[in-house]
Amino acid sequence: MDRYRDFSLGEFVWDKSFRNWVLNPTREDDETWQNWLAAHPEKRETVERARQLVLSIRPANASLSNPEKRKAVERIVERLEARNADRSEERQLPWYTGRMVRIAAMLVLLAGFAWLFWLHHQEPKVIGYDQLVAGVKEEMRETVNTTGRPLMINLEDGSRITLDPGSKMSYPAHFNGGSQRQVFLSGKAFFDIAKDPSKPFFVYANELVTKVLGTSFTVRSFANEQEVSVAVKTGKVAVFSREDPEAADKQSSRELTGMVIEPNQQVVFVRKTVKITKSLVPEPEVVADAGTAPNFEFDEAPVSTVFSALQSAYGIDIIYDKNVMDECPITATLTEMSLYEKLDLICKAVDASYKSIDGRIVVEGKGCRNN
Amino acid sequence: MKPLTRSELRLSLYLEEEQKLWREMLAGDVTAFEHLIDRTYDLLFHYGTKFNSDRELIKDCIQDVFLGVWEKKDALNPEIPPKPYLLASLRRRLHRLASRLRMDCMDYYTETDIVFDLEFSAEYQLIESENDRLLASRMTEMLNELPKRQKEAVFLRFYNDMEREEIALVMDIQPQSVSNLLQEAFKFIKLHWKAIVSLVLALPF
Repeated sequence: MDRYRDFSLGEFVWDKSFRNWVLNPTREDDETWQNWLAAHPEKRETVERARQLVLSIRPANASLSNPEKRKAVERIVERLEARNADRSEERQLPWYTGRMVRIAAMLVLLAGFAWLFWLHHQEPKVIGYDQLVAGVKEEMRETVNTTGRPLMINLEDGSRITLDPGSKMSYPAHFNGGSQRQVFLSGKAFFDIAKDPSKPFFVYANELVTKVLGTSFTVRSFANEQEVSVAVKTGKVAVFSREDPEAADKQSSRELTGMVIEPNQQVVFVRKTVKITKSLVPEPEVVADAGTAPNFEFDEAPVSTVFSALQSAYGIDIIYDKNVMDECPITATLTEMSLYEKLDLICKAVDASYKSIDGRIVVEGKGCRNN
Repeated sequence: MKPLTRSELRLSLYLEEEQKLWREMLAGDVTAFEHLIDRTYDLLFHYGTKFNSDRELIKDCIQDVFLGVWEKKDALNPEIPPKPYLLASLRRRLHRLASRLRMDCMDYYTETDIVFDLEFSAEYQLIESENDRLLASRMTEMLNELPKRQKEAVFLRFYNDMEREEIALVMDIQPQSVSNLLQEAFKFIKLHWKAIVSLVLALPF
């Protein structure tokens, strides 16, 4: 209250606390101001004048009598209660409980099912193995594996193909002419292709075309299955849909264009949705490449060391936030475990989680700086 | 934290009570809603009449504001201060109404926006000294000369005890603009106050 000692008339008039006291007095305010005035009798006159001015100068308000206000407030509450009542009545009988509405909904559902059924039993326009083979001018050989065991086929160019039971493959008798090597597959086979960059190797498996320069990979394309897949063991392959408008370009190009997959990655073509997705193979294996068995024994190693060991051993990108997670030390022996078991263990140790996205592993963790 | 003074404490208690009513109303309590309407009705009515002189129209608009609040009570934030929110809703409603009238009547209303039109007046019988009556009359004239938006800000600040942020909410402008409006108003008031006081004192009695 000290600051009021030197207040002038005008300052009092526009002071918020002062105005509050004058316009909406409470007992406490009144007490405070009376005490202050008793202590500063010289201000009494100024304060009184200011009080009168504040009281007298007011916005010209339209008068609102108490009964008038009461009536208006009551009217609002009445409306409000009427609305509530309406709503609870509506709640008892929502629109969709009507008999006609139910029947109509039933009919719509039936029509929908009928349409779906029809769609499902349409003859698929898929051009399969037989049509593809029939379209080739060269002299072809066909091998059908009717045995219960995998069957090995040696091609003229040195490539070796392991054909699974219940599968068949057509291939040219000789790879002499042309700039391509092409084979047709129905079923599942593992390809170990001899390198010949001037003659890319193509595997036509129903919807998917796989183009390689020289690698090993598995193609699975049974006519009665929902998916067609290509999984790479070593090297790189490019996969594209036969329906792809740029398929011709992708075939003739010297490079691997299209969806390129690397070891332990696979491409899956879902027939129903005609979608190609890239993912990791279900059981990634160590890429036998360096000749030396990779070392998976870690002693207080930073996470980045562990991840980069896994990355080079499996040839799979592991993405994580190095800044956040590198503080987490790992002590573990991870040999003899599958990749996913390894990842489970590491993530458990550093309180993180991982997902396999688009053929890569993405690790998310909060880091362990507080440990 | 700075301890609250008594009057601040009283004010915060009062506002807390209002907030409590607002929360209870949003939870579906009709009695709390009626209390809240009762507490805020005068303010809304008087504020509304500054935009439009049709009393019944204002009452209808206030009714619509409250019914609208009830309608969407599930979506409203229980922690926003009710008074500024209600004032702002009323203001918007009056604006919409005015623009609809303007469209209907084709240029009948030439104003681009509805305006806050407030007249200050002095009740001279409350003042003892002749001198101060003259002062009050000059002050009233001066206040009435304030630009409309400054006047609205002054009205909300000094006659309805609102904070800068609350005024911003009601007038639908930035808090900084409220500060500017109030500052300009004050510059104007101070300037004229000096002139008025010296003039009044110079008058012979």
